[in-house]
Amino acid sequence: MSMQEDIRRIREEAAQALADAGSLNDLAQWRVAVLGKKGSLTGLLRGMGQVDPALRPQVGQWINAAREELEGQLARREDALKREARAHQLMEETIDVTEPRPLPRVGTQHPNTMVLDQVLDCFIGLGFEVVEGPQVELDHYNFELLNIPKNHPARDAQDTFYVDDNVVLRTHTSPVQARVMLSRKPPIRIVCPGRVFRADEVDATHSPVFHQIEGLVIDRDITMGDLKGTLDAFAHRLYGADIQTRFRPSFFPFTEPSAEVDLTCFNCRGTGCRVCKGTGWIEVLGSGMVNPKVLEMCGIDPTVYSGFAFGIGLERITMLRYGIPDMRLLFEGDERFLRQFR
Amino acid sequence: MKTSLNWLRQYTDIPADAQQFQRDMIMTGTAVEGVEALDGGMSGVVVGRVVRCVPHENSDHLHVCMVDAGQGEPLQIVCGAPNVREGILAPVALVGARLPGGHEIKQGKLRGVDSHGMLCSATELNVPQELYPSVGAEGLLIFQEEYAPGSDVRPILGIDDHIVDVEVLANRPDCLSVWGLAREAAAVFDAPFRLPALDYTQSSQRIEDMVSIRVDDPDLCPRYAGRVVTDVRIGPSPLWLRAYLHAAGMRSINNIVDITNFVMLETGHPMHAFDLDQVRGRQIIVRRAKPGETLTTLDEKQHTLTGSELMICDAQGPTGLAGIMGGLDSEITDNTHSILFECAAFDRTNTRMTARALGIRTEASGRFERGVNPLTVPQALDRACHLVEQLGAGQPATGMLDLYPNPAQPATVTASVQRIAQRSGVDIPGEEMLALLRRLHFTAEVKGDELTATAPIFRQDIEGEADLCEEVLRLAGYDRIPSTLMRGEATPGGDSENRLRQKKLARLLGGLGYDEIINYSFFGQKQLDSLSLPQDDPRLNALRIRNPLGEDTALMRTTLAPDMLRVLALNMSRGTQQAMLYEFGTVFDAASPTQEGLIAERPCLCLGSYGDKESFYTLRDTVLALLQREGVAWDITARAEPYLHPGRSAVITGKEGIIARVGEVHPDTLDAYDMDGKAYLAEIDLEQLYRHARPMDQVRDLPRMPAVSRDIALVLDKGQELLPVMNAIRRAGGALMEDVALFDVYRGAQAGEGKKSAAFALTFRAADRTLEEQEIAALMDKVQRSVKAQFGAEVRS
Repeated sequence: MSMQEDIRRIREEAAQALADAGSLNDLAQWRVAVLGKKGSLTGLLRGMGQVDPALRPQVGQWINAAREELEGQLARREDALKREARAHQLMEETIDVTEPRPLPRVGTQHPNTMVLDQVLDCFIGLGFEVVEGPQVELDHYNFELLNIPKNHPARDAQDTFYVDDNVVLRTHTSPVQARVMLSRKPPIRIVCPGRVFRADEVDATHSPVFHQIEGLVIDRDITMGDLKGTLDAFAHRLYGADIQTRFRPSFFPFTEPSAEVDLTCFNCRGTGCRVCKGTGWIEVLGSGMVNPKVLEMCGIDPTVYSGFAFGIGLERITMLRYGIPDMRLLFEGDERFLRQFR
Repeated sequence: MKTSLNWLRQYTDIPADAQQFQRDMIMTGTAVEGVEALDGGMSGVVVGRVVRCVPHENSDHLHVCMVDAGQGEPLQIVCGAPNVREGILAPVALVGARLPGGHEIKQGKLRGVDSHGMLCSATELNVPQELYPSVGAEGLLIFQEEYAPGSDVRPILGIDDHIVDVEVLANRPDCLSVWGLAREAAAVFDAPFRLPALDYTQSSQRIEDMVSIRVDDPDLCPRYAGRVVTDVRIGPSPLWLRAYLHAAGMRSINNIVDITNFVMLETGHPMHAFDLDQVRGRQIIVRRAKPGETLTTLDEKQHTLTGSELMICDAQGPTGLAGIMGGLDSEITDNTHSILFECAAFDRTNTRMTARALGIRTEASGRFERGVNPLTVPQALDRACHLVEQLGAGQPATGMLDLYPNPAQPATVTASVQRIAQRSGVDIPGEEMLALLRRLHFTAEVKGDELTATAPIFRQDIEGEADLCEEVLRLAGYDRIPSTLMRGEATPGGDSENRLRQKKLARLLGGLGYDEIINYSFFGQKQLDSLSLPQDDPRLNALRIRNPLGEDTALMRTTLAPDMLRVLALNMSRGTQQAMLYEFGTVFDAASPTQEGLIAERPCLCLGSYGDKESFYTLRDTVLALLQREGVAWDITARAEPYLHPGRSAVITGKEGIIARVGEVHPDTLDAYDMDGKAYLAEIDLEQLYRHARPMDQVRDLPRMPAVSRDIALVLDKGQELLPVMNAIRRAGGALMEDVALFDVYRGAQAGEGKKSAAFALTFRAADRTLEEQEIAALMDKVQRSVKAQFGAEVRS
């Protein structure tokens, strides 16, 4: 029975040695010392010759069982040590995740562009097509077709940049509308963004170059209610469902009736603040029903068709949106200004 | 236009305070921009009588007064004014009163004596000399007339009023007058309008016996009328008249001149008063100037005339510029005995052209430019004569000279009730339309659907149905317009091709770290010169603006480069370490006219950068990355613009021409822009880019066969450009060569004298099989022979 005793002893010693092993190297040595060709457990197999042949199968089973158990222990120990080593390695690789570093540089869009894209997206969603046109424009399109005849004050040399008697830098994007009316048949639903020019000296609220977004709809039975509905949709989409429009009678040669349109102040939501000068309203655009004379001049029968038009000053709504105090900042190109926009 | 609210209230009953007036006028189309209380927010200031006045015991200038301010017991008030004395009536600010500017009066103690209020000076009440003649700069305001103690001083001082500031719309010149605004207010508040008295007694003298008038150029003077006043007594105007002029920001001169100004403010008709004795030949002739004729105007400036100006002349020559300014010689003086009041309508355009050409802008010229209504001319003359009589300033003679060969008719418009309602989107019945139009002094009637309306004589802006629609709707209230959705055929909508392409490029540039800028569309010769372009360069042919703001903004941009350089310099000068910028802009090509007589406008993209991490290569590669994302097949060639570094600039071309220019900025150009570090600039012609862009087609299958990589290091002449070498390798590798990449360039001594070494990584792959070693070796051999033959390249082992 001493064989059984030997197996038990070797098993216990080996288990202890395994527990003491501190590295994968120790495990390799242990394997050689216990399970290797000259290992202690293997040595028992070699001593089988002296075992009573009748007991040999039994002893062989004991040894194999011990071997299996030890191999299992080895695998578990090996796994544990590997995990320990991995954990150690990870700890060694620890970095300061709070360390401040320069961020990758991502470019910015000009605030005009961001606001313009929002506005156009809104009108595109309402079925408007974006149309652009020349900035150096014929007097005929810029003024005459829009019911601004030769002696109209808006044409004063003070306001308009002239190239020659017949060519001007367009003072609004309306000539694009005139071009579309002349070349297409209703229904027309267009929105015309672009640069316009006025001979204004530069100051905090004036610039000789600025941008407009003008819209035009021509169809049968278009009403001033449709104009209001369209501008309501624009106001809600851009500034929120609680924003209202307020129409005030006004005068533009291009439209009749005409309206200046105020929106609920999007800073204070109508309670009155610095932005709206306490009124709760902000003047945002000019609009009206297209003057029948304009339709006629552009070859559209005003007894069959009616339409509305509106014009928004891009710089104005951009400055209001971001609280930009001086229009010159928009055209100066200072990185410290531009890189604030996101 | 600024006017007094009390003045308006003389002609109509406005059932509203100043704020309500402003709101309701704005909401019906009269832009009342401001309402200013003349009392400056004053309260608690009343008339007081000084019933006792004794010197203060502890002061050499203060007095202790007992003042009856209508408060029961007299108040003890300490006063330091030199003119305080027993018996006077003066304004008293009671305890709790507010002075203009917000200062509150509190009970106080002066040198041991209690003071229950303050006796006030004119300055403290903000009362202008103009309005109250007894006001002295020093001391108390002492009332000359008798008022009950305790009365509010504001009506007495004429400051219980508001000044309203109206921005009159271009189509309503009739509202540039008190009558016009009062009429409008009467319509808005549905109140009666009262035209003031126009009657007067005419003397036995007849105007025809005293003066004659001739209009030679009625095209520029549709109506010219005059009335004569004799026995003129020039003198000061009464307080009420001066107060109204003051409220309108005008100075009082004398009774006759004040009447002409007052009538202009009331009626909108500029008037002129001639001293009849100074009118040579007692004849007024209205005619165009003779070329070379001269006139000295009231402001003592001499003008030489071209012949287009309309002149007022007498028998011997010009005495005034019609509708703009009188001449120096025919003005009213203290000795004037007889006057001729002139009231006329002059042509808008001609008045504007003359005023501009001579650099004169007057109240009168401004009004004639906006349009003066010929139909109301007689009313203005009558009003002036009425006032002359009322003020005792003279004797109006009998008769009016009136030259009005082609009288205008008030416009009559026929319209459809249904169409007006349809246009406005508001269901306004015909009866309501009638009522609204009549409030606006239209004569109107409805028969079935047909609305016929005749405009009042003072309205010249009514031309058609749309105008009636606006009149009706604005008075009915724009708040009645419903919010409806457009019906009818749906349209797909969508962004423009140009914008879609720019948006894609902008997205890429944003990801690459570039910030967008926007510049003006014009520059000046100086900026163009800063590029040192050769004389025949098309960019020098810039479109010139005829009336620019200044020389720096006189030319339309032919290149975006100068603005980009300016912005780079600005950021550098402000201490920004790194700038990466782009601008989408239009360049204007004056040399390429379009069919309709305009010029070609081309979209361009300009990039600029500076900073430690920036180089020629970073900017060039940004450009190439954009081209790659657009599927452009490009080539690059070293070539300098005069403003770029000759050894560090290139053009990027496609099959059809130059797409982009890129380079380091020339040191001379850096100097010209005061930049003290390197900067980089690229210009992309977007039309060319779009022309070469290829849309993405079908995706390729992913490779299933393994790739084989080989490196090759070549020894080349130091000046050898590497792109041709790489292209040669690619060609030699043929269809099986998947990729070539340059991964190292060595220019050190070991490369050999005048040589450099360039290492390329070559990748081979066949789609259908694993490549054999012999195939690779054969290809590598072909590559080596090819670069040796073309560039003398030796393979470095």
